[in-house]
Amino acid sequence: MAEAKTITLNMGPHHPATHGVLRVVLELDGETIVKATPHIGYLHRGIEKLAEHRNYQQIIPLTDRLDYSSASANNIGYCLAVEKLMGIEVPKRAQYLRGIMAELARFMGHQLWLGTHALDIGAMTVIFYAFRDREMIMKINEEISGYRLTPTFFRIGGVAHDATDEFIKKVREFVKWFPKALSGYHTLLTENKIWTTRTMNIGAITAKEAVNYGLTGPSLRASGVAYDVRKAFPYSSYDDFDFKIPVGENGDVYDRYLVRMEEFTQSLAIIHQAIENLPEGPVQTDNPWIGNPALSDVEKDISALIRRFMINAKGPNAPQGEVYQAVEGAKGELGFYLVGDGSEHPYRMKVRAPCFYLASAIPRLMTGHMIADAIAIIGSLDVVLGEIDR
Amino acid sequence: MVSLKIDGREVSVPEGTTILKAAQGIGIDIPTLCYHKRLPPIGSCNMCIVEIRGQEAPVTSCNTPVEEGMEVTTESEALHAQRVVNLKKILKHHALDCPICDKAGECDLQNLVYRFGITEVPFEPRKQKRDDSYSTSLIRYWPERCIMCKRCVTACREIKGIGAIEASGEGDDARIVVANAEICRSCGECLMVCPTGALTENLSRFKGRPWLEKRVMTTCPYCGCGCQMELRVMENRVIGVTTKLDAGVNQGSLCVKGRFGYEFIGDEDRLTDPLIKENGAFRKASWDEALDLVAQKLSAIKKESGPDAIGGLSSAKCTNEENYLFQKFMRAVIGTNNVDHCARL
Ligand code: SF4
Ligand code: SF4
Repeated sequence: MAEAKTITLNMGPHHPATHGVLRVVLELDGETIVKATPHIGYLHRGIEKLAEHRNYQQIIPLTDRLDYSSASANNIGYCLAVEKLMGIEVPKRAQYLRGIMAELARFMGHQLWLGTHALDIGAMTVIFYAFRDREMIMKINEEISGYRLTPTFFRIGGVAHDATDEFIKKVREFVKWFPKALSGYHTLLTENKIWTTRTMNIGAITAKEAVNYGLTGPSLRASGVAYDVRKAFPYSSYDDFDFKIPVGENGDVYDRYLVRMEEFTQSLAIIHQAIENLPEGPVQTDNPWIGNPALSDVEKDISALIRRFMINAKGPNAPQGEVYQAVEGAKGELGFYLVGDGSEHPYRMKVRAPCFYLASAIPRLMTGHMIADAIAIIGSLDVVLGEIDR
Repeated sequence: MVSLKIDGREVSVPEGTTILKAAQGIGIDIPTLCYHKRLPPIGSCNMCIVEIRGQEAPVTSCNTPVEEGMEVTTESEALHAQRVVNLKKILKHHALDCPICDKAGECDLQNLVYRFGITEVPFEPRKQKRDDSYSTSLIRYWPERCIMCKRCVTACREIKGIGAIEASGEGDDARIVVANAEICRSCGECLMVCPTGALTENLSRFKGRPWLEKRVMTTCPYCGCGCQMELRVMENRVIGVTTKLDAGVNQGSLCVKGRFGYEFIGDEDRLTDPLIKENGAFRKASWDEALDLVAQKLSAIKKESGPDAIGGLSSAKCTNEENYLFQKFMRAVIGTNNVDHCARL
């Protein structure tokens, strides 16, 4: 009698459908996956260690490079953690601007996910539309910060500078345009027979298991758990806005798709409310040790000049202590744990990266499915390795 | 011993100690600006004011001696407010120079302004420009950065005993002037104690930034005193010399050679090969050739005129070991006591 034999297949790290440098070792019985083992670490840049040697302000650009597809959503988490440690409050206008940027970043993350996820499963068209609209956000980023992908627009104590009229105009245009684009996305996929066949009942996970695996974000909500940090622990004025938390039922690839699609609408609602009700006022804290004095003051006031010099050359000190601050990133609960030692750089920074937990669920989700589904499952989790490997 | 209370803490110190020193002794940090460890109290900046129980007005702690049973408070709202006022007064006419100031990054004034979180000091230009002449061409005086703390004047008079500069004028017109340029020895003592960038060195101006430089502690190569100094190094080039207050016999002082005589280190005219003079002109030679020639000539002279016809001068820029070997060579190989060294003193 012939012996049943499995073969081992190495997927990644350089595989276009692993969204970066994820490597999954698959053990196959014919076309069925009997075991999947994710390997990580190919994109390790030592971000947490680097942070120990930079001042608090200089760490912000590092955080852009965690989940680089939605950079501002990382910036906000880090800045809030530092501000919690330093015990400072950010002016309302800056909070709103941060909210707008963070939600736009969620758009960028979800658009990248949508385009590549569909592409992986064979729907080529979607990515062109998703990237057409993503370009609008890139332009908004560029307008306000000069950078398209990694804006680093936030500062400890506020944002770098006030919004320009052009920025507000561009955001309004986007808010007006996007519902039409979204319905276009839906036409392409939501009731598409191939799409539903490839995604329904694939990689399903129950609410309980999802919680046990530490899943957060859209991947958790698709299983029916309405946990969203923006609602559970509101930050940066999110409680001023009216929005809903979309949840799914089955926790499969299709539900994860639907939840993210609905999140487009909810994020758009937040941006709309924020841009229309943008409060007047400063965009930097008035704390003299932290708020960067404006260049116009520096030209005629020695105290502003000296403080700007000190704040930028040396950086403000944070007191001794530990804080944890979580925000709702595009992929889930993104947390920053900081230990301050009284100096101008953290003693330790630890990032709770949602994608790490998502990747850890890969063996559970893939086992028993066909090899072609592996790709649908990775795509639906929307892991970004920049964040896992750090 | 005198016993007193500072911020509620009992302390006893020898008679004649100032309140500032007594406080520093138990780790209480009173802000100071004109006070300098090596100088007698000057009392020009009024930052170190403290309250003494039973006395209405605050006193400057740098020059008030302790008294038995005194109760001193070093921090209070009134004191803080007064210090802010005093600091703002100092800043009122201060040039907006930090971006081009050599001191920026290690400036006592910057540190104090940031420590106090000073805001809103609109710049008011001086009605009368101050004169920027100075007693030596090695140092530039920036009158608009000068805060009139008088550390420089005191250091010149008290540490060096010279008195080449003095303070002159009142109020807005006050400035440092040259008392007698003839007696200035360009030692740079004033430069060392200046808390701001009001005195800068002309040779190294704009060549470095404190946070970009590497600082290398070393011994001055000029004479046998062995003063300790720090080389400021940028991109593997020595761009200047500073001193550390607590280091070595010199405790921060240097003479003109040590402080300003460093440019030879990177000079293009330095020898890189042995040279032999032939027909009045030097030509490059190999080490073997040069050493052979020296050995041959020295032997010839010794044979003709005896060892005492030869004398040797060695250099303080060599190491001790090299100098030891040199005198050994002169005495044991050549056979003469004609050997000398600039660090003999
Ligand atoms: S002396 Fe100090 S405060 Fe004044 S310009 Fe120079 S660095 Fe700035
Ligand atoms: S030159 Fe420097 S040390 Fe002299 S009074 Fe001015 S600030 Fe003080």
